[in-house]
Amino acid sequence: MAHRFFALLLVALALPSFAQDDLMNLLDAAQGPVKKSPVAATFKGTRIVNLQTNELPASGVGQLIISHRFGTIVERPLYNFGGLDVAQMRLEYSYSPAHWLNVGLGRSSANKTYDAFAKVRFVRQKEEGMPVSVVYYHSTNLNTTDFNDGVPQRYFTDRLAYAHQLILARKHSDALSLELAPTVVHYNLVATPADPNDQYGFGLGGRYKLTDRMALTAEYFARFHRPAGFYDPLSMGLDLETGGHVFQFHISNARFMNDPSWMMQTPGSWGKGELYFGFNLSRVFTHRAPKMAKEIDVL
Amino acid sequence: MKKILLTTALLVAAWGASAQRFLAKETYIRFFSSTPVEDIEATTNTAVSVWDKATGEVAFQVNIKSFTFEKALMQEHFNENYLHSDKYPKATFKGKLTDASAVNWDKDGAYTAQLKGTMNIHGVDKVITVPVTVVIKDKTPSISSKFKVKCVDYNIEIPTLVLAKIAEEIEVTVKAKFDLMKS
Repeated sequence: MAHRFFALLLVALALPSFAQDDLMNLLDAAQGPVKKSPVAATFKGTRIVNLQTNELPASGVGQLIISHRFGTIVERPLYNFGGLDVAQMRLEYSYSPAHWLNVGLGRSSANKTYDAFAKVRFVRQKEEGMPVSVVYYHSTNLNTTDFNDGVPQRYFTDRLAYAHQLILARKHSDALSLELAPTVVHYNLVATPADPNDQYGFGLGGRYKLTDRMALTAEYFARFHRPAGFYDPLSMGLDLETGGHVFQFHISNARFMNDPSWMMQTPGSWGKGELYFGFNLSRVFTHRAPKMAKEIDVL
Repeated sequence: MKKILLTTALLVAAWGASAQRFLAKETYIRFFSSTPVEDIEATTNTAVSVWDKATGEVAFQVNIKSFTFEKALMQEHFNENYLHSDKYPKATFKGKLTDASAVNWDKDGAYTAQLKGTMNIHGVDKVITVPVTVVIKDKTPSISSKFKVKCVDYNIEIPTLVLAKIAEEIEVTVKAKFDLMKS
């Protein structure tokens, strides 16, 4: 009898302590299943080197990128200070009016090219489910150099070239991200009759994080139309993140930065040591801040 | 005799089972880092908290990714580089008032007390005691607290490059308005 009593008492006493261990489970239940959040920060920058990534600046955020590509490393390196005396540059500013859209303008030294570009995010990689992020990228490029080829009649439209790109990116792990970017570039005017107006290629890129704020990157662009004198661009770099800035330092055989030039018309060759130092420096500006959570009144 | 014992046991059991619990589904939490260079603020109101009146235990839980910053990039860095929220998605606290009698549940009013328990941030447990204000209204509590956490206590590394911008001690504000749970 007394045994039974003690058994019951033990059960009774155990109940509240059960409840105690339950407390965290109860909170889990109250919070509901954690929403499968999209995978963030597949890449540190919106570009790897020249190749676009699946990243867009956040909604309401503008981004300034200042890029330099110096002269060849091997040509009179002392005289030209490793190429630093002869720089190509590109300036761009973009803005994201929505989390899925980024639009921007750029100006590159090569062919004195102005460009307008847009990035549209269709799909984001999810922690569970969707395995890749899918982004479409477009640029319209205006070559503003003097026409000096002796042809008497030239049209404004001859100056235009367009790039269309689909970016498929995947963050495999915290450290490793890879992307594939099938691309077509349309030139309204090509150099020779042998050159097609539509030229196809695909970009391959990746990054490997060394620390939270440092990553190795590489990109390669394969062309299907391969005229003599041009090479596939291959670049390798280092990303450094410092709060609001991302510094990207790299070595590449591509010296031009506007899409029609760097993708299909890279004259430099790794084999001949025609390599260039370069950097991209990005800085973001918040034009429209996200809504903060409302403080509740407890008194 | 048998009956009395049985009744006693059942009563004790009933007391445990009917333990009153209070839940705050929209708990507000704010981080505030202040340096001469920059003030950084992050807030959420999707944290949850529970107060078990019988055991006196209070617990809080928040999804790290639910914090909103004024600058989106800060939020990304907060998750990616500082709190590693993929690995440690939640921060929790579980503790008790150091003096349960500091709060009179039967009398409306504001009471100051100390809450002692285990904080878990970034996968690191630390026992802390924080000051709280408990407001009782109609036998239902609200709680608010403001305290500081040291990043280094939770192995949250701040690189020297941004030391000027991120405070070593972060001020945390917690506010929860409880409702009686129906069981």
